[in-house]
Amino acid sequence: MQADEIEARLLRKTFTLFDFKGLEMLIKDFKRDFYDTLQRQRVLVLVAFDVDALCACKVLQYLFHCDQVVYTVVPVDGLQGLEQAYLENAEGIKHVVLINCGATVDIVELLQPEEHVRFYICDSHRPVDIHNFYNAVQVKLLMREDELSTIPSYDEVFRDDDEESNQSGEESDDPDSGYKKKRFDDESILRRQERRRWNEERVRILFDYTKFTSYGTSVALVMFESAWKLSKDTNSLLWLAIVGVTDQYVHFKTPRDKYMEDIIALQSHVSRHNQRGSDGESLLSVNCLRISFEEELHLNLYRHWTLFDSICHSMPIACKLRLWTLKGQKRLHEFLAEMGLPIVQCKQQFSAMDMTLRSEVKARMQEYMNKYGLENQDIVLPSFSMQFGYRNLLCATDYVLACAATLESLDASSIQTDNFLLASDILQRSNPEKTDTALEAARVQLRSLVSQVQSSLDMHQIISAGPFLYVFVQEGTADSRFFSQPLSLIRLARFTLQAHCSVTRNKKAHSLPLVLGAPLSLDEGTCLIIGIPPLDTDDERKNFFGKAFEQAADSTNMTVKCNGFDSFIIEMRVEDRSKFFDALISILQ
Amino acid sequence: MLAEKALDLVRELQRSLDGTLPPYNEDKIRQVLEEMQTLFDQNKDKAHFAAEGQTHLLSAIQLRHAAIRRNKRCLLAYLYNRLEQIKKMRWEFSSVLPSDVKYNLCEQEVQWFNQYNRLLANYMRSLGENGGLDLTQDMKPPKALYVLVRCLVDHGEFETQDGTTILLKKNSQHYLMRAECEHLIRQGILEHIVQ
Repeated sequence: MQADEIEARLLRKTFTLFDFKGLEMLIKDFKRDFYDTLQRQRVLVLVAFDVDALCACKVLQYLFHCDQVVYTVVPVDGLQGLEQAYLENAEGIKHVVLINCGATVDIVELLQPEEHVRFYICDSHRPVDIHNFYNAVQVKLLMREDELSTIPSYDEVFRDDDEESNQSGEESDDPDSGYKKKRFDDESILRRQERRRWNEERVRILFDYTKFTSYGTSVALVMFESAWKLSKDTNSLLWLAIVGVTDQYVHFKTPRDKYMEDIIALQSHVSRHNQRGSDGESLLSVNCLRISFEEELHLNLYRHWTLFDSICHSMPIACKLRLWTLKGQKRLHEFLAEMGLPIVQCKQQFSAMDMTLRSEVKARMQEYMNKYGLENQDIVLPSFSMQFGYRNLLCATDYVLACAATLESLDASSIQTDNFLLASDILQRSNPEKTDTALEAARVQLRSLVSQVQSSLDMHQIISAGPFLYVFVQEGTADSRFFSQPLSLIRLARFTLQAHCSVTRNKKAHSLPLVLGAPLSLDEGTCLIIGIPPLDTDDERKNFFGKAFEQAADSTNMTVKCNGFDSFIIEMRVEDRSKFFDALISILQ
Repeated sequence: MLAEKALDLVRELQRSLDGTLPPYNEDKIRQVLEEMQTLFDQNKDKAHFAAEGQTHLLSAIQLRHAAIRRNKRCLLAYLYNRLEQIKKMRWEFSSVLPSDVKYNLCEQEVQWFNQYNRLLANYMRSLGENGGLDLTQDMKPPKALYVLVRCLVDHGEFETQDGTTILLKKNSQHYLMRAECEHLIRQGILEHIVQ
């Protein structure tokens, strides 16, 4: 009987091992593991509300159209939305693709799916929940392998509890043997000790693992590379990947190094897809999409605005010159004068500027920037621009801003999913009027963002709480409603921090993180709180506020909601704010 | 002027024939018929005299007769074109006409429509191998079997041919068989997104 049991246990052990090794949690072969299994199946695609996810979704849609895979796309705006969308659409669905959502939560626990449902998660949020990673049967991850190297190993975080129960069963089998019992007792004490130690170790490892939230490779890029491996990549898909990567940079999700790495990878694709004849005459038709690599001026929307305004609303240069002050404005005028750009020209539409001036703006800026303390990084950004027809020369950053503004448009008549579809139409490029309205919306957003930063600086609202800085957006102002949306909120927080660091005399400001609160709903009395890491850790772009907020909420026993997919943005009631901040200060000290 | 009302009738139909069907103008048709009746009665009287030798009446009789014939032609044209339009609508909207169109039909037209329906259904049932073939679908050869559609209203659940149900919720996007969702697109529940 003993022998039988041992054999059975061994067998079980080999089986778990087999299960674990035989099934990959990562999708290594996109075609075999992902694409072919979806053929002739109905697929549910759940997409998060951000530009990168939208681009990835478009790439995936294109692939599905190629092979006539029937699917349903539902945009989801948070964990609640995810749950609801799954419940509503789950009937008869065997395959669910999650784009930019779901990796950081235990998806099987959250959705309680049936046994046969498979989840494919393509998400740039890190860290990936360990349950997702080690559930090789129901959850597959579609991401780069090297980015998951920090995940704790299986034995560190999981333990097969079978042994324990078996042992207790044995114990009850022969209760009369006193000697044996004693031995078992000693053994079980040892085992319990060992178990406790292991548990403590597990908690520590998990804490280390989940301490920082960060972002991996853009999902649009991952999707594009998969399409490339299937030989189904086209120029428009490439543009979507570019927009996805740029979105991550514009919303401060990836550091500049990572961005440059991706841009270089993309550039080889761009030159492959946009080859011209050597004589230069054999140009493509004007209605084709053309993408070109450029050292683009890092000025927001300058092609669709006046140069002057654009400079005032671009973060790096505006912060360096402190353009919200009178002195800063003078310096800008001086800068422009030195460059030989007449102020009249700078204050009219960029497209109406003198041709010669227009083409020289970049070179002149680079020539004179050193005198004003500007660096090359502040002024140029390696990026791409695309041309489609005669009118529509657009660069990737402007495109991202336009899409983000559309996604977060506050038009009272439209609901959120309308915005999603509208943004999706803009990515389709077919309708230039829609793009123009989106660009206008982006300009309005930028203006309100800068005026908000200016007012918080002027009224000295940025206060140091010791371990961090904090600032609240005043309720009831005209612009405050813009900041009830995550993407604008991220940009506002970052702009505020950078601007504050550029004016403050406090040397420590660069190493302080910022917590920013913005009103969400006046009727319900709720507000959004966002935390961003300090500027001097900007090379990593790792955010520890997700965990800090969680702990602060735990220690004060209050309910905060983290509905979005970014844990460093939370929602809470306004009256709880001061209590929460006290807890946060004590945690971060 | 003779036969003017009949011409009006034809004109009226001509004006509104792009996609809709005007109400059956019973009143005017009755007036035309009355006119024809009067002309005919007059002719019958005069023909009697003409036969007796008053040959100067002959040309007037001929004129009236021509007018009667013209009225008849116009009426037939009116009715025929309406039937053609109804036929066209049968192919567009399938066997159930929209209520506003139905309201504009006269009794006999409804009868004709039902008969036409029956004939067409019988014919389509006899085609193909199993269960017939719906000729009204794919009037033009489709470019793709599947289309991307966007849901414009909360429609509720929809069962596809292979038995799965999908939820048509406002602003969800689906990639569906063209044949399945074509009528929903016509009803304005779904919007076809051209890539």
